[in-house]
Amino acid sequence: MEGNVTITSAPEAIKPAINRLMWLALFMIFIGVAGAVYAQIIGHHHAFANTREMPWGMLIGVYAYFAIISTGLCVLAAFSHVFGGNRMAPVANRMVWLSIMALLGAFTVIGLEIENPWRMPLGVILHPNVTSNIWWMGTLYGMAVGIMLLEFGLILTKRFTAAVIFGVLAAIAESLANSNLGSVFASLSSHPFWYGAQLPIFFLGSAVLSGAAAIVLFTHYSYILQKKEIGEYTFLSLQTAGKIMILMTFLVSVATGWKFANAYSGSEAMVMAADSLTSGPLSTNFWVFEIGIGLALPCLLLVVTRLKSVYVMSTAALMILVGQFFSRFNLVVSGEIVPANYGFVGVPQYFSYSPTVAEYLLVIAGFGVVGFGFLAGEWFLGKVFHHKVFHPHTDIDHH
Amino acid sequence: MWGNYKMKKILLMLLFATFLFGGAILAATGGDQAKDDEYDEDEYGPADPIIWVKPVKSVVFEHKIHTMEAGLDCDSCHDDLFEMEAGVAEENDDFTMESLYDGGYCGSCHDGDTAFASDTRCTACHIGVRGHTRLVGEEEMPSH
Amino acid sequence: MKINDLEQLESEDITTLPSTERRTFLKMGLAVTGMYLSGTVLSLTTAGRVNAANVVPESGEYPYNPHYSMVMREHLCIDCERCKEACTKTNHVPSHGFRTTILEKRRSLGGDAYETIFVPVLCNHCNRPPCVRVCPTTATWKDEKTGIVVMEPSRCIGCKTCMAACPYNARYFKEETRAVDKCNFCLDTRLSKGETTTACAEACPADVRVFGNLADPDSRVFQLLHSPGTTVWVLRPETGAMPNVFYINS
Repeated sequence: MEGNVTITSAPEAIKPAINRLMWLALFMIFIGVAGAVYAQIIGHHHAFANTREMPWGMLIGVYAYFAIISTGLCVLAAFSHVFGGNRMAPVANRMVWLSIMALLGAFTVIGLEIENPWRMPLGVILHPNVTSNIWWMGTLYGMAVGIMLLEFGLILTKRFTAAVIFGVLAAIAESLANSNLGSVFASLSSHPFWYGAQLPIFFLGSAVLSGAAAIVLFTHYSYILQKKEIGEYTFLSLQTAGKIMILMTFLVSVATGWKFANAYSGSEAMVMAADSLTSGPLSTNFWVFEIGIGLALPCLLLVVTRLKSVYVMSTAALMILVGQFFSRFNLVVSGEIVPANYGFVGVPQYFSYSPTVAEYLLVIAGFGVVGFGFLAGEWFLGKVFHHKVFHPHTDIDHH
Repeated sequence: MWGNYKMKKILLMLLFATFLFGGAILAATGGDQAKDDEYDEDEYGPADPIIWVKPVKSVVFEHKIHTMEAGLDCDSCHDDLFEMEAGVAEENDDFTMESLYDGGYCGSCHDGDTAFASDTRCTACHIGVRGHTRLVGEEEMPSH
Repeated sequence: MKINDLEQLESEDITTLPSTERRTFLKMGLAVTGMYLSGTVLSLTTAGRVNAANVVPESGEYPYNPHYSMVMREHLCIDCERCKEACTKTNHVPSHGFRTTILEKRRSLGGDAYETIFVPVLCNHCNRPPCVRVCPTTATWKDEKTGIVVMEPSRCIGCKTCMAACPYNARYFKEETRAVDKCNFCLDTRLSKGETTTACAEACPADVRVFGNLADPDSRVFQLLHSPGTTVWVLRPETGAMPNVFYINS
């Protein structure tokens, strides 16, 4: 059957539900893009809450959020494909697909966040700047999407050996792109709270956490949509993802702790930035959402229930993904919130930033793209995601 | 704004504490503080600062500092150095730093002997556009 | 080992190396950092020297000629903002932005008394400009002849990374050109037309802003920065940007 492309339609029973959700996702994309076009026309200066001093806002955080999820999914998928013995292999194909979709969501947000997207395609080719992290990030993520589409094509046509090679290449490209994204912030010595060697690796850690959470969540939702019980092998996959979630919530918490220990032994600007999170304007975002809902509670839930319940794992995954959303927002805003001219007359202790409607709409569009991608995958490729049917290793192991 | 809220609480407490201590000082010195209310415009000149915007924005002059606090009389300056009417001096072509260095206008005293020299401590009198805006408000600075 | 013995020992750090060896060692560091930051503009001197007492590059080490720079005689600034007005007019700066502005700080004189210090700021045309490094489409670069950090608006995609990277808040997004805009020492509006100074320096009634070629020992900027007993400082030296706007009080 090699070379035989397998694209199927969803089983009749689940079509209406997926159909309705797909329209919802399309509607989300529509209003988000409409908002973004409106913002382009009247100017981001008016439509977005960004200023000269705080040029980056929620949308940069959301772009990083989706990009980081994509990296996590891609890397975990590559590990599963290469080392089939690990129990996540049965969900690896879905991970590849979702990784592509998350990246498309990220591109949607960043593409409409920058002021002149039409100058970008030629600009980055005709006038490349190899010292620019943005350039590398864009180039590598762009490459990753291409490689993953090829990989997915190879999976569909069952050229598994080639697919594994492309999967590894994609994972390498994604990892480098992701740490370049970290370095976009981490190399700016003008912003001491971002600056340093931690962020690129922190982003990779967050990627593994987000990726594990995303595959648990989406796999569970897929089975809810199909109104099917999760099979043994898939459940074992989700348990492995659950273990990764426990490990990574712990590691990310430790990294966060050191970030603050370091900041509090640093300059006044570092202390003020750290304060903005622990006791300042971002403290609710930080303690309740990033730490409480995003790291501590899900870790506790998973440990206490010992990964026995798919519902608990799915809930923990959702909490982690909410927490990661806030984590990205907090990272972007806390790095810029302390005025460089603090101490001069009339300069506030913190800048204020609250996202505008146009920004929220674009975030909705990003979720719309990822949601639509997920549903389209279930519709057309549901069989490919099924562990018994198409997978390089499970095919051999379990048939 | 959590931090600001906390700051406000601390500031409020400080303010309260200041009041308490202020009360103590008032009681001890027999109403020295009350003098502020007794500023007499007839005796000491206008309470509002004089602000010149020509030839550069902006220079401030406080009657209170020069009369009530430094002990100058009205005729120390009026009408010899300055007309009584505000804003006359800045219409003159010679209302410049050069004139001050030659002993004209403010330079009559601000020569380094009687008071600090005109070519030192620029920002003691030059409050600039920022200082002007603070005193007068944004609407009167159309060029801003 | 006793303290006395320890003091007798010869130090093994680089201070005991012959100067050629030391120079080679330093060059090695330069090569490494220069590689990462990859650009001829970036490796004027080692970053370490920025934090040393002297923020002015050594004579003969200027990578450009003319090496344009500005000296601010800070205590003379009275915030009349004629510089701002001249800049706005000359360079068509919209009302929502600025290329140069005046900051205000207060220094306590003890008790309630304080003195006001006005600080004029503009693009520092750094020798290691963070904005230039981060631009994905090379829409901003250091002019090869003059070292002025220039912008090509038609290449700007509006990602605003340069705005985030600038330690001096010198950049803003200009709606009219849909590109980031910044001070270019009036390169297009004045210098290229034969003028020898910037609009802001010309407009200053207090002679605060002195503009000129730092590579020329006869220039006023060179003289001001190299006169005995003068303390020279720059803004945010810790960022390692090696700015070319210098501040003095004499």
